[in-house]
Amino acid sequence: MLRGAGALAGLVAAGSLAAGCARPEGPDPLEEPLAAARDDAVSAAAAAAAHPELASRLTPLSRARRAHADALAAEIRRARPDRTATVDAAAGATPAPARPAESAAAAVTALRRSLGTARDGAGALALAAEPSRCGLLTSVAASCAGYVTVLG
Amino acid sequence: MTPPLDDGDLRAMLLTALGTEHAAIWVYGLVSAFLPASAATGLAAASLAHRERRDAVVALLARDGIAAPPAAAAYRPPSPVTDAASAAGLAAVAEDDVAAAWRAVAERTEAATGGELRRLALEAVTAAATVSVTWRGLAGRTPLVAPFPGDGSET
Repeated sequence: MLRGAGALAGLVAAGSLAAGCARPEGPDPLEEPLAAARDDAVSAAAAAAAHPELASRLTPLSRARRAHADALAAEIRRARPDRTATVDAAAGATPAPARPAESAAAAVTALRRSLGTARDGAGALALAAEPSRCGLLTSVAASCAGYVTVLG
Repeated sequence: MTPPLDDGDLRAMLLTALGTEHAAIWVYGLVSAFLPASAATGLAAASLAHRERRDAVVALLARDGIAAPPAAAAYRPPSPVTDAASAAGLAAVAEDDVAAAWRAVAERTEAATGGELRRLALEAVTAAATVSVTWRGLAGRTPLVAPFPGDGSET
């Protein structure tokens, strides 16, 4: 993991020199909400499978978080081609193992907490982002807030 | 630093957003008689939030010397309101309109100059998505939360 990140940082620097313009370096700020969306999509799908009584609430949630992840990844690829490899590699990574033993209530509580964090994170980024990203981040924050209510 | 409302496109979108707030306030007045008593608290809170946001926009416009257009006397619902489900459906549509207008405002702001508008937009789209959970549920509409509130896809 660490070695991969170092190699990519090197590629970013080389790209900046080759392009001859001031490209941003380091991770794209959207990588954090992207990772959160992917995690939630996997966790919600796993919890829905383990607790069928939750499926009506968690399956749409899992789909929404997958859609968030796809949109965020697309925006990173558009704005930061140098981060495409990192973003795609993370997508293929084995997700953290779900917690099959946990109760339905514990699964809902964990997801609700995660969505609250995602809502706040995307909202904070929306206030600081360039205009082209502000709309997407505002919608992601709002959607997460809506699902906090669904799980409330 | 240019005042953000010198941008005609942003100003037009903000006026559109104000129009959706006026419409939402009118809609909540109309639908209140059709919704179950269990929805009364949520309805009152949602209506108040729209009035407060309307007032915030009017004040913001006044600060830049722009007269805010008043609300229309009445609005034409896309379909008749006859029961709780159709009333909740109309409330959900009003919230969709609010979310779409405010997201468009957000997209036309710069972080450096448009912080106040961005915060209003974030609050507006977030509140729309949150309160719509109840209205969509009563209207039998799925999903209860749009994946991208305000993006115009109206799902």
